[in-house]
Order: sequence, then structure tokens, then C-alpha cells
Amino acid sequence: MLTLNNVSAGYGGVDVVRNISLEVNGCLSIVGPNGCGKTTLLKAIANILPSTGEIKIFGKPFKGMKRREISRNIAMLSQQPNLYFAYSVFDTVMMGRYLHIRSRITSTPTKEDKEVVTRSLEAVNMLEDKNKDITKLSGGQLQRVFLARALAQEPRIILLDEPTNHLDLKCQIELIEYLRKWAREESRAVVGVLHDINLAMRLSDYLIVMKEGKILANGKADEIIADGKLNQVYEIDVAEYMRGSLEKWNK
Amino acid sequence: MKIKVIIAVCATLIIVLFGIAIGSVYIPPGNILRIIGHNIFAQDLAEHVTPAHAAIIWNLRLPRALLAFFAGAALSVSGAVMQSVLRNPLASSYTLGVSSGASFGAALVIFLGVSLPISQMMTLPVLGFVFGLGTILLVMAIAARMDVHMENHTIILTGMVLALFINAITTLMFALFHENMQRMVFWQMGSFSMRDWHTVFIMAPAALLGVLFITRYKWELDIMTFGEEQAQTVGVRIKSVKLILLIGAAALTGVTIAFVGVIGFVDLVAPHIVRKIFGSSHRYVIPMSALLGGAFMVLADLAARTVVAPVELPVGAVTAIIGAPFFAYIYFGRRKKEA
Repeated sequence: MLTLNNVSAGYGGVDVVRNISLEVNGCLSIVGPNGCGKTTLLKAIANILPSTGEIKIFGKPFKGMKRREISRNIAMLSQQPNLYFAYSVFDTVMMGRYLHIRSRITSTPTKEDKEVVTRSLEAVNMLEDKNKDITKLSGGQLQRVFLARALAQEPRIILLDEPTNHLDLKCQIELIEYLRKWAREESRAVVGVLHDINLAMRLSDYLIVMKEGKILANGKADEIIADGKLNQVYEIDVAEYMRGSLEKWNK
Repeated sequence: MKIKVIIAVCATLIIVLFGIAIGSVYIPPGNILRIIGHNIFAQDLAEHVTPAHAAIIWNLRLPRALLAFFAGAALSVSGAVMQSVLRNPLASSYTLGVSSGASFGAALVIFLGVSLPISQMMTLPVLGFVFGLGTILLVMAIAARMDVHMENHTIILTGMVLALFINAITTLMFALFHENMQRMVFWQMGSFSMRDWHTVFIMAPAALLGVLFITRYKWELDIMTFGEEQAQTVGVRIKSVKLILLIGAAALTGVTIAFVGVIGFVDLVAPHIVRKIFGSSHRYVIPMSALLGGAFMVLADLAARTVVAPVELPVGAVTAIIGAPFFAYIYFGRRKKEA
């Protein structure tokens, strides 16, 4: 579905991620300490950061692909931007329909666009708040609005940069479950950068562990935990920490 | 929303009508409509409408009010675009050096006597426009050289530095050529006096086409207010769209400044009020900024020519006197509320 071959990307001529090669089918979680290049990698995949190497979506290379073609396939939920102007929740999610609307002569949303937006808002439990001003929303509500916008784009791949920030526990689990279900339908993919190992394992059976701009481990979550790669990256005994938390629960 | 739009349209029509009616002699709105009907549709003038009144309306006040309206509309739309593209509610064409460039062009004409071979009368507006637009192109070229992504802060800083540099050269010219200083100062403060239908016939289509062209980008403008990365992921070709919009907005300001001089604050105040009343969606922000900015300018011009009549004030000074405290009230009021 999504293939990366020797991809390097960075800022100001300095590569932050180097020679990344991987294949994504379904859901994939990327974990790693701060500054290891997770967000940079997502930006390179979304083609909002120039990269070298080769990225292919459904076998078609990025090179020569127009912005609109990439965005028709890939949506990205970035970390929350500063909001300078007030829009309604509905209008914000409608922006996800940009490519669909702009390709028509009239450039106005159709009944179908409105239905897609409504469905997307329903999926993130924000339909009741559709007329609210986004500057008045909590961080968690705003995160769900931006996810709805990504869904309204009707992409085949969604990239998530720490999507559970600002969300309470219930919302975190609901979001992850929804994305798993979304990815299962019609062979879609989700690539999520997550700090919480538990959530990363809930999102996908496969993990990528990054350190200093490189992939340190790539494989099944339980195997990665078992062979101590996470301990190496975070410099703590991750399995022991998780067992400790579980014991507290059991008590 | 529809009701708000209808109220805004009606209010604008009333303001424009009274902007034409009030002056050294009051001419009732009914008579104004008859005079317009007489000149456009060759209808008979009513007996109580004197030829003098007809001449005042048709030759002086109507072109002046229309010019003020279109100038206000163009400046407001330009401001709305700058604020959305640069994600800064205080951004305007002035921030990016357009007015400084245009002032420099005007200074060349006024102080050094530069004139175009084809039309001497058009030298000031043409050079004002060319230098205003040239400045934004230079800003974009320098910004692109410094930062391949042309991030907003690079563009704003480049614009500010270039504006300061150009202002310094203009000030030097002020110091060196005293004799035409008054003309230059008045041009810098803006005015609609002594303008006839010819100016309206250039300004009106330029403003209308500019506003229509920018309306085409209403979706991009909405999306860009969330930041460039977000806009790109949604599918906006950010570099080219940003360039088109900034040049479009600068051209709107440039053409206005070229004909009526430097008039500030309308481009900050009008879009701000529009966003308060109609929300931030550019399908309303652009047309309503044009409407409200136009009405605001007609009112400012009315004040400029009536408050201390028969002396006429520079309209730029009036917009600043009304606009600056109003904007401070709105802006700091909002910050206080947020704190």
C-alpha cells in the first residue's frame, strides 16, 4: 500500500531521518523518544517535507505526482495549529472536501459533500457540536474535529502525529478502535506516531521503533518488547514498567 | 446569515446615497436617483431638480463617492487576504511594503519630475502602482532566496525590512527637495478630490475584477488560516497559491494607492468587523469586506469634506483617526476578554 525505499529527509540540508525503508499495509505504529525523527518521517510521507529516496503509494512513485493526487490518497492529522480565526466545526471539516469541491466548476459543496462531512463528524462524536465555534472547543474536541476533516478528505492512508494528545482515556481508546476499523475497510492504511506503547499496540500489531533518525526495530509488537529493543531506546525496562502497572491494577 | 447580508447591502446603499446627498448643499436622495436616471436612462428631470444640482451630483459627488467606495472595497479585500495568508490579524499590504514602494514611486514623480512619455497625467498613478507591485515582488524574491519554503515570518520580516529601507530613501528625498513637500505629504495622506469619471472607469473594473479573482480562492484562504502544513495535506499548492494571492492583494492596494494616495486602517478595520459579524469563512469575508470597506471609505470621505468645511481634510488622516482607536478598542478588548 505504502512503500518507502531509502528515504531521507530533514531541515536546512541536514537529514533528520536517514535511509528509511519500510512497507505499510493496514495499521502501523511508530514509537521512539522525542527528537528521533518520527514527525519528520510522517511529513516526508505526506510530501510536505522534501525527501530523497523513493516513496510509492499503491505502487506509484511520488516523483512527478501532483499535490492534489498525493492529498487524494494521504491525509495527515498534525499536531494542533494555533487558531487565529473562528470557523464553525462543520465549516472546518468541510475544508477536508477541498479537492473534491475545487475540481468542480461551481466550487460549491454538494449534497454528497455535506453527507460525507456529517458522517465524519458522526464518526468522531462531534455531530451535535457542528455549529460550535472551533476557538471555543477543548483540545480534545479540536483534535476530533481535525480527525473528522482528515476523514472527510476520503483518503486511503491517514498519517497521525500523536493523535491522542489532549484526549481523555475513553476518547483515546475510541479513536484507536475507530481507526483500526477504518483501516480494515477497503484496504486502507493508518500510520500513527504514538508515545503510549499500550495505545501503539492497540492500534497495530506491528511496531516501528526509531532512534536518532533510523529504524532500530521493525516487527511484531510482542517480539520487539521481548527482545529488549524498547529498553534500549528508552533506557528503561519497558516490559517491567508495564508489568508493574498491571500488578498495581491487580491489587 | 442571509438576513445579515441583506442588512449589510441595504446599509451600504443608504450610506453611499447619503454620502452623495450631504455636502455644501444638501440634495435629497430622491433627487439623486432622478439625476442618475436622467443621465443613464435619459429620463426627464423633475422640475424641482435644478441643473446646478444635477451637475453637482453627476460631475462631482457621484464619481467621488463611487471612487471612495471602490477604493475602500479594494483596500479591505486586500487586507483580508493578507491577514488570512500570513495568519496575522494585523497584517496588511502596508506590512509588506506595498505603500512604501508606491510612496517611493510617487516621490520620484513629485520630487524629480519623472514623467511617462504617453500620458503625463497618468504618471503618478502608474508609477505608484508599478513601484507598489514591484516592492511585493522584490519581497517575495528575497524571501524565496532566504527560505525555500517561503514561510510567513520570513515574508513579513522581509517586507518590514524592505519597507523601512524604502521609507528611508523617500525621507532622504523629502530632506533634499523641499519645494514639492506639501504635494507629497497630501498624496501620502490620500484624497478623493479632483477625481472624475475617468478615474472611476479605471478604478471600478480593477477593483471588481480583483475582488472576483480573489473570491475564486475562497477555499484556499479558509484552509491557509490553519497553517501551511495543514493546507498542503488537504491539497493546496501552497507556494503558488500564496504567491498568486499576495500579488493579487498587493495589486489591489497598488492600484488604489496609485489613484487616491496612501489610505490606511480601512484594510485592518473592515475585515475585522466582517469576521465578527459574518464569521471567518471567506465566502462571506471577501464580498462583505468589499461592501463594508467601501461604505466605511464613503463615510470617511464624507467626514473629510464636511467636518471642517470648506477646508477639506486628507481622507487618510480621517480613516486613521476613526480606525486606530476603534481597532485598539476591538483588539485590546478581545485580549482582555481572553485573559
